[in-house]
Amino acid sequence: MIQTTKTSTVKRNLLIAALSNPLALSGFIIIATILLLAIFAPLIAPYDPDSIDVKAILLAPSPHHWMGTDGLGRDVFSRMLFGARISLLVGIVAVGIATVIGILLGAISGYYRGWVDIVIMRLVDIMLSIPTFFLILAVIAFLTPSIWNIMIVIGLTSWMGVTRLVRAEFLSLQGREFVLAAQTLGAKDFRLIFTHLLPNSLTPIIVSSVLGVASAVLVESGLSFLGLGVQAPQASWGNILTDGKVYIQFAWWLSLFPGFAILLTVLGYNLLGEGLRDALDPRSK
Amino acid sequence: MTKYLLKRLFWMIPLLVGISLISFLIMHLAPGDITASEASFNPKASEESRQKLREIYNLDKPVIVQYGLWLKRMATLDFGTSFATHQRPVFWERKDKDGNVTPGMIQQALPVTLLINVLSLGLIIAIALPLGVISAVTQNQLPDRAITLFVFIGFAIPGFWLALMLMYWTGVAHSWLPISGMHSLNYEKMGWLAQMYDSAKHLALPVFISALSGLAGISLFVRNGMLDVLHQDYITTARAKGLSENTVVYGHALRNALLPLITILGLSIPGLIGGSVIAESIFAIPGMGKLFYDAVLMRDFPVIMGILTIGSALTLVGNLLADVAYAWADPRVRRGVLR
Repeated sequence: MIQTTKTSTVKRNLLIAALSNPLALSGFIIIATILLLAIFAPLIAPYDPDSIDVKAILLAPSPHHWMGTDGLGRDVFSRMLFGARISLLVGIVAVGIATVIGILLGAISGYYRGWVDIVIMRLVDIMLSIPTFFLILAVIAFLTPSIWNIMIVIGLTSWMGVTRLVRAEFLSLQGREFVLAAQTLGAKDFRLIFTHLLPNSLTPIIVSSVLGVASAVLVESGLSFLGLGVQAPQASWGNILTDGKVYIQFAWWLSLFPGFAILLTVLGYNLLGEGLRDALDPRSK
Repeated sequence: MTKYLLKRLFWMIPLLVGISLISFLIMHLAPGDITASEASFNPKASEESRQKLREIYNLDKPVIVQYGLWLKRMATLDFGTSFATHQRPVFWERKDKDGNVTPGMIQQALPVTLLINVLSLGLIIAIALPLGVISAVTQNQLPDRAITLFVFIGFAIPGFWLALMLMYWTGVAHSWLPISGMHSLNYEKMGWLAQMYDSAKHLALPVFISALSGLAGISLFVRNGMLDVLHQDYITTARAKGLSENTVVYGHALRNALLPLITILGLSIPGLIGGSVIAESIFAIPGMGKLFYDAVLMRDFPVIMGILTIGSALTLVGNLLADVAYAWADPRVRRGVLR
């Protein structure tokens, strides 16, 4: 039925879905644009993001400075471009870490079941009952805030969803003919997990990772806004906003653009994720 | 019902032990030892007094013993005294021998955060429920599209940014609302009605900001839940026997769509509590979030550990309440047919 076609054409479906679903397509365009701007930031940025110009402090947006300048005379547009690199890097790496942990624990839990399953599921429950933002802040209080620590901390506190997802997929796949066939042919556990079960669980993992990047970007910008994330002088959307907070009465551009960039990025990832879910998941139709 | 409740309470024990383990691990992440942080508040702290501190926090004992003592302190809710604020007790008030009472830090902050979170939950239900229902009933028509757009933007908008913008717009540009704190300076001298009005004005923005992401999430959840239910056979039956569309939607569908909402509201509690850091620190509300943020900035470890534990305990209590409410609302759960 639907499920058999789903297994064989996941990769092709993914491409088609991304291009044919209006939600996914608009999300894809937003993200691709921001990614390109971030990757080519050194070529696009009209100024050095860190160069201070005392003669150009708090200038309003103009043809010379598209997004104005900040309290130290730095070009906001250039800082936004370099900030995009940091925000996206943190978001993607953090989700990468969470996804790897989630896949491993979920696979072990769903494949071996028994007491390992119970232990891992309890661990998930425990992690979910500690308010995540408190947990992240507590860890950062004990370490020093740096972009690497932030990626690791966000990753280590957001793997629970993927774990449950992979486990549920594995449980539902076990007992299906192709799994039994592989078992009968003598496939080892490792092979069974990574070449038979995992590829057939990819769709929900991809959807949840894409949505995960959205929330990781929000968390990173929140941390940087609170001064506990990416540290100055390195630009991130969150800390550009913090710098702008002081000048909000007479320099609106310092607060408006970074917030808008975060909104657009998160919106893009959410649109892509939801769109892919709509297109790929037969249950959502 | 009693049996169900006992079972749920029993399952909280391993969770509490797990939380104690994780918080213990975090405490040991700090490079060097945490007495260095106390010493940084008091540069004159001698090696001798630091040694004393190590003894108080049991840092001189083997790790296993340290964990046992930490578990004991968690169980008795004794988180010691704060490093940064003149040795104030972290959790609950303390009387000295002259009868002077020093109020606990969490004791004072917790009611504020609970008030804001309860108001946020109320706001979420009051707005998200009708939005979700309208969205489901008008599926793929204009109202549904508009609400879905609102939901996507609600998910994506950074709360701290919106807080800043609203604070500027309503507080600085127009002075409609106060920009920070819980009360005006002359609060004590007001009548109770004026006091209520004053508090409402101070809390309007913080409550709205902490409700924001929940608003979007719950609207979407109600919409999808309603759509699921509306496609079920008993709804077709209800329509077929000639019931009005209103009776079908509000009398039959909504009731069943509401059930899972109880669980989701329970699950949203850790997010609300954690999110209070941002809302409270922006609006200078003296709650748990602000207390936690200040403690993190000052590396006031006893306060951090205390709030982490109390925050997790609150989450567990919230989940328990949600499960009990669910069992009360759905007989299948309490008789053990489902789950």
